Amino acid sequence: MAMFIFRRLFQTIPVIIGVTFVVFFIMQLVPGDPAVILAGEGASKETIEALREQLGLNQPLIIQYFDYITSLLKGDFGTSLKSSQPVLDEILVRLPITMELAFVSILITIFLGMAAGIIAAIKPYSLQDIGVMLIALLGISLPSFWLGLMLMYFFSVKLQILPVAGWDSPLHIILPAITLGVGGAAIVARMTRSSMLEVIGQDYIRTARAKGIKETIIIFKHALRNALIPVITVVGLQFGALLGGTVLVESIFAINGLGRMIVDAIRMRDLPMVQGGVLVASLIFVIVNLLVDIFYRLFNKRIDLN
Amino acid sequence: MKSIAERKVLLQVNNIKQHFTVKNDALFKPKTVVKAVDGISFELYEGETLSIVGESGCGKSTTGRAILRLDEPSAGEIYFGGENLLTVKKKDMRKLRGDLQVIFQDPFASLNPRQKVKQILNEAMATQKSVVKEKRPERMKELLEYVGLPLESLERYPHEFSGGQRQRIGIARALAVHPKLIICDEAVSALDVSIQAQILNLLKQLQRQFNLTFLFISHDLSVVRHVSDRVMVMYLGKIVEIADKKSLFDKPMHPYTHALLSSIPVPDPTIKHERIILKGDVPSPINPPKGCRFHTRCPFATDLCQETEPELRELEKGHFVSCHMVEKI
Amino acid sequence: MAEKEIPILEVKGLKTYFTTKKGTSKPVDGIDFVLNKGETLGIVGESGCGKSMTSLSILRLIPSPSGKIAGGSILFKGKDLVKLPESEMRKVRGNDISMIFQEPMTSLNPVIPVGEQIAEAIRLHQNLGKKAAWEKSVEMLRLVGIPSPEKRAKQEPFQLSGGMRQRVMIAMALACSPEILIADEPTTALDVTIQAQILEIIKNLQKQLGMGVIMITHDLGVVAETCDQVVVMYAGNIVEHTSSKELFANPKHPYTQGLLASLPNITEDVEELRTIEGTIPSPYNLPKGCRFSSRCPHSKDICSERNPELFEVSDDTKVRCWIYSDNWNNQSKREEECLNEKHS
Repeated sequence: MAMFIFRRLFQTIPVIIGVTFVVFFIMQLVPGDPAVILAGEGASKETIEALREQLGLNQPLIIQYFDYITSLLKGDFGTSLKSSQPVLDEILVRLPITMELAFVSILITIFLGMAAGIIAAIKPYSLQDIGVMLIALLGISLPSFWLGLMLMYFFSVKLQILPVAGWDSPLHIILPAITLGVGGAAIVARMTRSSMLEVIGQDYIRTARAKGIKETIIIFKHALRNALIPVITVVGLQFGALLGGTVLVESIFAINGLGRMIVDAIRMRDLPMVQGGVLVASLIFVIVNLLVDIFYRLFNKRIDLN
Repeated sequence: MKSIAERKVLLQVNNIKQHFTVKNDALFKPKTVVKAVDGISFELYEGETLSIVGESGCGKSTTGRAILRLDEPSAGEIYFGGENLLTVKKKDMRKLRGDLQVIFQDPFASLNPRQKVKQILNEAMATQKSVVKEKRPERMKELLEYVGLPLESLERYPHEFSGGQRQRIGIARALAVHPKLIICDEAVSALDVSIQAQILNLLKQLQRQFNLTFLFISHDLSVVRHVSDRVMVMYLGKIVEIADKKSLFDKPMHPYTHALLSSIPVPDPTIKHERIILKGDVPSPINPPKGCRFHTRCPFATDLCQETEPELRELEKGHFVSCHMVEKI
Repeated sequence: MAEKEIPILEVKGLKTYFTTKKGTSKPVDGIDFVLNKGETLGIVGESGCGKSMTSLSILRLIPSPSGKIAGGSILFKGKDLVKLPESEMRKVRGNDISMIFQEPMTSLNPVIPVGEQIAEAIRLHQNLGKKAAWEKSVEMLRLVGIPSPEKRAKQEPFQLSGGMRQRVMIAMALACSPEILIADEPTTALDVTIQAQILEIIKNLQKQLGMGVIMITHDLGVVAETCDQVVVMYAGNIVEHTSSKELFANPKHPYTQGLLASLPNITEDVEELRTIEGTIPSPYNLPKGCRFSSRCPHSKDICSERNPELFEVSDDTKVRCWIYSDNWNNQSKREEECLNEKHS
């Protein structure tokens, strides 16, 4: 197992290098000259040229990339073109907010999704199954910006029980987390259902029944553990989708998180900020995938043998 | 049956080995090697049925697959009609594949569910180029007649047939290209007895009709007794005994063959035969026991058996046994 | 036998039907048999004859909602299992009546240590604590001949060979000393030398525990080795019910005769095997008359018109075939007359 984790960690190194590479070069392809934007309207050619020189923008790309990587290794993510603050500092302020939101959302995805999936699978093709699956279909189909606005309208404007936007109290987390988690929950629900149905048809479930074990114990002890194996993978993938979703949801609910930071930075052509934000988000995704793999391994020891 | 001297060798297998390497999780540990077949030699005479029997993991199916080059053997030579199958060029191998056909255990899995019987047979003839296009419809009719299926079958899909009928389709496909040797890999194992009997009769009849040679791989000793001329018993990738059917069933020499034969439940409650119940399971082919591979379960094993691997010795004419202790048992 | 004991299991007119989109199939269609204490009853037949469905029906484990017991009764020591509420039925399963299945590879839960899978049943039915149940489960593994049972109990099924897994299944089934063991093709997936081991274990434990065994198999060799009485099934019906000795010495039903004749023999050589022509009828579309009539070499008009009852041929033999009715010979005469009339 330790060997596996070590090897798996080793494998992430090329992935991370690849990420920096992509992040760096994609930003070069984006139209618009950061020096022009930074200098402001009506700046003279000389001013722009001087800015270029200062920021190293007139170096060949490959040199710029190497400079970028070496400073990354030193923990220097660059300086924001807009606020002149170190990028890392800006990210570290916003990262906890986004992580908190993502964490609560993924909990919603996991628990809501699994519960719905189990409820549907216990009585396949019954009314409860069809009902739950219809809701799940709705959950997948609803665009999150619409869902976010609707939730805001009902709970904040009409009923006035939850805050509209911002990030001040624990109550503020509820609506954005639901908005963000529901789509994943629907996918997890469908996955759990089909996986449970497959497992319930297995011979060992029949064996458990032949022992005289109660149906609830069969579901939770004998079936669920086996059914969860494919669900874990889906949850891992959902986390990636969720990080992407924060960009939108943070904008809707005016939350000052990493996602919104990236959006603002793109709008401002704040190159170092965008690079830093995307890089951190990618790193989080790589780490989560690593955790999922390890967890999957622990859950399904049979893989060890193959 | 003709005596051995008069018969022509159709297939000669020399010391083939099939070692599979298993990927290891650890970074620096040596790779694990499964010795599925570990140096076996035998010949197959024209027109005979040689059966390979043994329990799961003994290497009987692997041997069949090696001859067909479905898995490339790790070492050894296989001569078929004077040519070494393992060194012939791809182009020639394709031609030879027409002479070598196979019937698998699960006819359903080996027939394309989206093809009509007509297409299945046509494809077999087209890949081997053995039958010109114009003659194929006629040949198909002929084939169905041989295997006892109605002509309408041509327009139907595999799922419309029962297990026994599907096996007949598999046989027709194998016959389509005028093969010399058919490898039957557990060809009747999945069938009910009454259907199994039909297929066994069919195979025997076709063998007479077309002078076919069968390599019959099976775990079912009663079936083997019925179809074979000679029988080869394998254990953990090695041949333990090979002999004429009569000689093997009436006078088994290897302790493993003894145990195997005595384990079969006989459908007659009045016969109370002595049963040798072997202890334990077949050891793993990853780390087969040193010396004689059967020594861990053999009631007669001695120090010699633990140390030295026995050779296959001809103790009676055509009866080969690989056991140190045969004479003393 | 001087005085007849009350049988531990009495199945009367059992019918199990399945309703699907294709229609209603009748895999078990009126089955009667009796199992006495310490006795082994074999249920034989080819795939689709309903033997496995019969065994699943006894424990009421047929897949629902498509499958249902449509009629009859299953008396376990006088108590009708068909009418038992589910919660009561659970107390019977694994405790009074246990079952082992064909596929040891898939019949054990892959993520639960085998010891726990056994201990679970013990805790459930015997009110033992966690530790005591675990010890008992290790004890059971020792009983079925698993070497170093303390170590094996902690392992998961994938670490065990096929033969070992079937031993675990047996240990699990016998953990609560059931009165009936239903063995559904217990050795079909195993190699012959392992099959011999497993049959031996079942036989020995049956002697020790005095339980009744229902052995479901397609292998007539296994029947000959293990069974006292035998039920031969064909397309949902019992076609012959007799003692094991009688079945092999003197098979009565044309199907049984055909089945025995089509077996390749291990002791003697024949050039050609006898076969039963044709295939079994679809369970969705059973013939009106005798279900074997389309494949039977002796078939007459009456066979395709009416399904025969089980005729009592001797004390311990019943056969579902018109040949054994009183008017079979008359029937033959009548047919001859018909023929003569047509000719003249």
